[in-house]
Amino acid sequence: MKTLTPKQLFIGFSKIGISGFGGVLPWARRTIVEQEKWLSAEEFNAMLGVSQIVPGPNIVNLAVCVGSRFAGVAGAFSSVLGLMLCPSAIVILLGMLYEHYSYLPAVQGMLRGISAVGVGLIAGTGLKMMRNEFSFPPMLLVVAITVVAAGYFQLNLGWVVLIASPLAIFLAWKKASQA
Amino acid sequence: MSALISLFLKLSAFSALAFGGINALLPALYELSVNQEHWLNTQTFADFFAIAQAAPGPNLMTVTLIGWHVSGVIGAIVASIAICWPSSIMIYFLQGYINNLRNPITKKTVQFAASALAVGLVLGSAWDISQRINHSAAAFALTAASIAVVVFTRWHPLYLIAIGGALGVLGFI
Repeated sequence: MKTLTPKQLFIGFSKIGISGFGGVLPWARRTIVEQEKWLSAEEFNAMLGVSQIVPGPNIVNLAVCVGSRFAGVAGAFSSVLGLMLCPSAIVILLGMLYEHYSYLPAVQGMLRGISAVGVGLIAGTGLKMMRNEFSFPPMLLVVAITVVAAGYFQLNLGWVVLIASPLAIFLAWKKASQA
Repeated sequence: MSALISLFLKLSAFSALAFGGINALLPALYELSVNQEHWLNTQTFADFFAIAQAAPGPNLMTVTLIGWHVSGVIGAIVASIAICWPSSIMIYFLQGYINNLRNPITKKTVQFAASALAVGLVLGSAWDISQRINHSAAAFALTAASIAVVVFTRWHPLYLIAIGGALGVLGFI
């Protein structure tokens, strides 16, 4: 099995972190599978699947999976650190600029426009993810309950997960047994 | 100091619940940072969200910026660590367990249930957040147009962000 040092992982994930405009996951695939060839497409997809099952920031989860696969705990740490360091420095610099220039109407307008697009990106991603649920329509009930509980009633995240989980698990078991 | 501890503990609690990642977590983050702790107002929250969207890097940078606002660079580090550590420890131990599930039905059940929850939370989050940060019909129209572009085309998100920023500068939003 291929091994990588924590330093190599740090450098690789730093690249992924700073190239990731508008979402990091596509860049993670490009770097890990196509450029560096650390993992085959199948291995990468399996790790991504697990990263998306477990709660938490998906890309950080992926960094933990990839890093620990090649260099254990040290690998996981250096991958996450690499992923976060440069982008954090960049947003802090932008935050400083924001403090100085946020009074300008043009800056305020620009940020209003970007945040309106940003919400649309999230909703659009959610709708794309929903396409998979149509293969077993009863599952859409779980989606509907979760959306209403979180979006309309604005219930606390913990409650939403608690309320929707039993039905989600039951229907997921039905869906899995059906195939 | 107490703000830092509060920041750390509360963000840590979110980490392990965030099915669907940071996008699903935004309303909880808003509730905590604007309504409960008054670390920032609605406008600053919306602006930090916009900065994190436009900057390179993971979208959890919204959390980093909130931490920075609360307590400078230390705050940014504390917030970033808090949002990552519980889920990172969870996945470190769970990845082997999930990969080794022998029974394919169990494995698929876990996968299908988690993905349905993630879809619902991400959509619910977008619904909730759009009402908090969009203050004009034009802003909602821009959100709707962005959704359509994401769903029906393969445009890179950066183009949309650039268009949104430009429309904003020109005073349309």
